[in-house]
Amino acid sequence: MTLKIGILSFAHMHAQSYAQEIVAHPDAVLVGIADPDPARGAAMAAQLSTTYYPTEATLLSQGLDGVIVASENIHHRRLVELAASAGVRAILCEKPLATTTKDARAMIAACAAAGVKLATAFPCRYSPAFQRLKQQVSAGAVGEVLAIRGTNRGTMPGGWFVDKALSGGGAVIDHSVHVADLNRVLLGREATEVYAEIGSGFYHQDWEDTGFLTIGYEGGVFATLDTSWSRPKTFPTWGDVTLQVVGTNGVLDLDMFAQNLVHYDDRAGRIGWDNWGSGTDAGLVADFLRLIAGQEVPNLATGEDGLRALAVALAAYRSAASGESAAVENS
Amino acid sequence: MTYRVGLIGAGTMGSTHARHWNALPGAELVGVLDPRRDAAHAAGPVFSDWDTLLSQAKPDIIDVCTPTPFHREYVERAAAAGKAIFVEKPMARTLADCDAMIAATERAGVPVMSGHVLRYFAEYAAAKRLVDAGGVGTPVAIRTARMAGFPDLGGRPNWYADPEQSGGLVLDMILHDFDWLRWTFGPVSRVFARGLYGQKAHFGRLDYALVTLRFESGALAHVTGSWAHPGGFRTTLEIAGDGGMITHDSAASAPLAASLRSTGGGGGVAVPESPMAEGEDPYYLEIAAFVAALEKGEPPPVTLQDAREATRIALAALESIETGKAVTL
Repeated sequence: MTLKIGILSFAHMHAQSYAQEIVAHPDAVLVGIADPDPARGAAMAAQLSTTYYPTEATLLSQGLDGVIVASENIHHRRLVELAASAGVRAILCEKPLATTTKDARAMIAACAAAGVKLATAFPCRYSPAFQRLKQQVSAGAVGEVLAIRGTNRGTMPGGWFVDKALSGGGAVIDHSVHVADLNRVLLGREATEVYAEIGSGFYHQDWEDTGFLTIGYEGGVFATLDTSWSRPKTFPTWGDVTLQVVGTNGVLDLDMFAQNLVHYDDRAGRIGWDNWGSGTDAGLVADFLRLIAGQEVPNLATGEDGLRALAVALAAYRSAASGESAAVENS
Repeated sequence: MTYRVGLIGAGTMGSTHARHWNALPGAELVGVLDPRRDAAHAAGPVFSDWDTLLSQAKPDIIDVCTPTPFHREYVERAAAAGKAIFVEKPMARTLADCDAMIAATERAGVPVMSGHVLRYFAEYAAAKRLVDAGGVGTPVAIRTARMAGFPDLGGRPNWYADPEQSGGLVLDMILHDFDWLRWTFGPVSRVFARGLYGQKAHFGRLDYALVTLRFESGALAHVTGSWAHPGGFRTTLEIAGDGGMITHDSAASAPLAASLRSTGGGGGVAVPESPMAEGEDPYYLEIAAFVAALEKGEPPPVTLQDAREATRIALAALESIETGKAVTL
């Protein structure tokens, strides 16, 4: 059986990659896309050989099995609720799940009430290097995990990502959720408190471009996370995801996107890192399709997982405002 | 003139100093105090006690390389005797000791230099020069890391494993980073840290700390300290600013690597080594800078005030680890 998928909004650039994975998947068809920007929507539809629907409602009336929401953060709730009420079987929502825990909870509740499965797009879970790290940690390779030093640094994305009315914040809400989620997967523990120093020294705007978080977990495990948009314009790639997992028996270091060719490109006048590692989105999209089909997908992040990661980012903002640690809101 | 040097303590750092004192023109190692006679003999002429060292070796400089808790005692003795003083880092275990040492040396009017040797490591000195020249624009987000195994004293009583004596890696090791950061980016206003310090289940075998600093300038720094890395010593450095970024990784910049079939025994505290031209070893450069300052009658380039400020940051980090709260300086 072929699963009918629609995508709501291409505001987030990840939508393109998800769309390509669906088009390439033998069990799925991309029925269409809806986008508030007609030019962008039409261009993407042409590129993906699918249909552009000018309104979300028309796309949702096509008898879809699953919907991917890749809008600006602030619209996630409205679009997820709309899709849930349209009777799809499952929804994959781009991270961060929402910009407030209230919205995230409402989305989870709306999906539960409608009998719709909600998933959060955390592609880093599907990195083979992370999978291997997780396997080693569970096998006790480093003994008991005591601390994790994480980074998810990037170049400044621009666009709506730096319009707080659409994004809900800057580098902290954009980047802390990935590693917050990975840490939670590795530790099997919940974050309890966050201390954060944030700043805007790179771009001197009203959104933060620098975030140094310290996260406390149940049982006393601690972690730090650098979420800064600190990669310069001349940096050879978009950024990184790294984890240094420190245990009683040693240390495991993950550099998720280290599988690069170094490309000295005279024609472009720059040095680039050309990644040859396995992509993460194919695994994510395949699991989403399995979820729609009613299969078990233990590695796919749920709405609840998205909420937990979001709560860490939001605690960071509260901490930065107060100068003290802030409790992570628990559901 | 040739400066006559009395060395107090011939452990890991003392024996390193002894080697460089012996290589430095204008200085002569004339006496060593250490209860471990063999170690003392290996470093230089041995004296049985402080008074004999003073009266017979007649040192001009006292170089204090004892474990941290003994620094104050020997600095005060040397100051009272009117000697020029070089004292290893950390300056002391407590701020009260730091203040007493500053008062004693000021009262005596003797020149003192503190062994914050990282300033003399070529990569850190070069990074500061680049930053000062505007190479990254205004510095915004800085990360440093210093990672090694737990100090191994080869069966001797391990004072590093006693947090009351050593302060763990926060005071003993990443103090280096705190001093370099303060030297390069100015005063620190707030400190937050988490670490294994005080966790009896682990301390003594491993230590790990992650420290966040806010500077008065608004810049932020993250400092990793590890005595949990069994695989050898490594440092990393990254300075991102609004006009560029500098990165350094000791593992990626070592010009020589050996992969030999038989591996030698370990032991000793990990001391960073970078093969440099003779006369450019950082431990040589720091005592050479001290002697040059003495010759010119100028204040030594790393003062006890500098050392006290670095110690204050480290003690604030330990306080933050213990209380779970940020410490405002």
